Amino acid sequence: MDYTNQIREIASKLFAEGKIDVFVGYRMTGFDENQVPALIRDPNEVSKLVFTDKSVFNLTNYLKQDHTRNKRIGMVVKGCDSRALNLLLTESQVKRENLHIVGIPCKGVVDENGNKMQNCIECIFPNPVVFDEMVDGTPTGSEAPPYQVNTDIQNIAAMDLVERRAYFEEVFESCIRCNACRHSCPMCYCAKCCIDQETSTLYHGANTTSSAFHALMTWSLHLAGRCVDCRNCEKACPSHLPLHLLHKWNEQVIYENFQEHLAGVHEGDRGAFYKYSMKDPDDFIM
Amino acid sequence: MSVELFVTDKAGLTKFYEAIISKNETYAPVEKFGKYDFKRVSSFDACNPDAPIAQTMSAKPLFFPRSAKIMKYTADHSGTSVKETDEDSLAGKRVILGMKHCDARALQVLDKVYNWDYIDTDYQRRRENTVIISARCDKAETHCFCTSLDYDVEHSDAMDVAIVNGTDGKVFIEARTEKGKVFLKEMNIEQRISNNEFQVTDETAPAAVKQQYEAFAASFRLKMDYTEVNARLSKIFDSPEFENVSANCISCNTCAFVCPTCHCFKISDEKVKDTGVRYKSYDSCNNGYFTLMAGGHNPRPVKYRRWRQRALHKFVYYKERFGENLCVGCGKCTNSCPVNISIFEVVKQVSETVSV
Repeated sequence: MDYTNQIREIASKLFAEGKIDVFVGYRMTGFDENQVPALIRDPNEVSKLVFTDKSVFNLTNYLKQDHTRNKRIGMVVKGCDSRALNLLLTESQVKRENLHIVGIPCKGVVDENGNKMQNCIECIFPNPVVFDEMVDGTPTGSEAPPYQVNTDIQNIAAMDLVERRAYFEEVFESCIRCNACRHSCPMCYCAKCCIDQETSTLYHGANTTSSAFHALMTWSLHLAGRCVDCRNCEKACPSHLPLHLLHKWNEQVIYENFQEHLAGVHEGDRGAFYKYSMKDPDDFIM
Repeated sequence: MSVELFVTDKAGLTKFYEAIISKNETYAPVEKFGKYDFKRVSSFDACNPDAPIAQTMSAKPLFFPRSAKIMKYTADHSGTSVKETDEDSLAGKRVILGMKHCDARALQVLDKVYNWDYIDTDYQRRRENTVIISARCDKAETHCFCTSLDYDVEHSDAMDVAIVNGTDGKVFIEARTEKGKVFLKEMNIEQRISNNEFQVTDETAPAAVKQQYEAFAASFRLKMDYTEVNARLSKIFDSPEFENVSANCISCNTCAFVCPTCHCFKISDEKVKDTGVRYKSYDSCNNGYFTLMAGGHNPRPVKYRRWRQRALHKFVYYKERFGENLCVGCGKCTNSCPVNISIFEVVKQVSETVSV
């Protein structure tokens, strides 16, 4: 998967037509095989852009940053990224007319060891669900595979409540409360996050297992029905915690109980927790 | 300070480590989710003193805990009472295995700030009671640049006992401080010599140790002239380049939380009904609220200013005040960065925009 040339062409064209102020893509780090997000403002720097299977980070995170606020933005999105973008549009975090979305028919990205990421193996939306132009000109690619239950979740579900709690305590014990998961999440844009308040006695930021438990559970519930499984959080976690367990669990519960809802798939579709109906099931709540 | 140097082999070193663990309260890198963190260990098999630097957390939390209880209190209608917290579990006599030279050096840098206007007695006690055993790396990793900075990696006395892997399976064990010498004596070094586990070195040993250092120093991909970088950065506060290089930072704070020298903290309370515990926990200058004042003014309201503060504190301000760089070149921030920003590359890039 290499769309480097196409992306450079599209970015040059957008700058030449005066459609964008900044183009958000990827460039090489310059010192290893990895890539770093590039926020290109100078049309002469378009030649730095690349796109390969190492283009991992979900760029929609940059829509909340200083450099893109109230600017006209060109942005490269993969399937999962586009779902995040769709939700951000629905939640009025970015104006559609300010965006020029360049879609990638994604074949999956790789981790630092060169192995295909687990979420890419299970991905059912490799093609962007919202875009202005596809990088290879074609509107969409192959048919997506059906939704499958994540194998890690099956293992967790097989545990009884005591075992499950013990397992998660073991996970949260390694949390160092840096909140990098929250900051790297494109769906977390609150100016003042509830788990990140220095004066709160409830979410107090101290590095204890109970505080990590509390913060991460709250965070994952705020993302229930909104997480697009891009795994920015897991990439950011310095302790390598399996944070996807929290999100995939929520995703599955919502898929099974709320008319097969998946986050950000349809334009204008609000998250499962925004809609309320007296007929909503509640038997999955402990 | 005379240096004491002994020679053994890999098996002898393992036995030595096993003896240390059985006789002392020992902390060493323990693996979990593919990442090593320093934990109390009771057997050699449970830990890996040779844990790779890129996958290993700093040992800083053993001196400056990620969260320290600073007091307990009750506050109700009848008034407020404050109590001391429980005894400091990190202040006993202990040994740390598997700390890298850069990580050990970071403590020497931190000593300056902890011995400055306010003496942090908890930190001091933890420092005094700890023996650090550190193995010199055989080879630099992708983001390492310790040899480019302002300290002598070869003759560092940041660790009490230094271990150097020589060629031919030889291992050199060297006491670098008085504390290290006393520790080796306590570990029955004389008996080990009479058992032939250790040998007192002959004259070729220092040459072999030197040779290992030269091979190690030659393996660095990253090299810079720190005096030049320091000089350039001190003139560059108003450079627009900071805005460019910080553009792709997502302000996630990971770099500060894994850094062996970052020492900013916040105070927070965990309170249930009338009783509470006050914690001192890590914080980061990348946080938007870090400089937020009562009344709402924030002198660093935008990302590039916070980013500039972090870079200049490491390479300019700390150097001006304490004579040392607040960066030891371990590369932990770069290894942990979710968007692969390298502090080495960025500092170099910014510094190149001005002439000396």
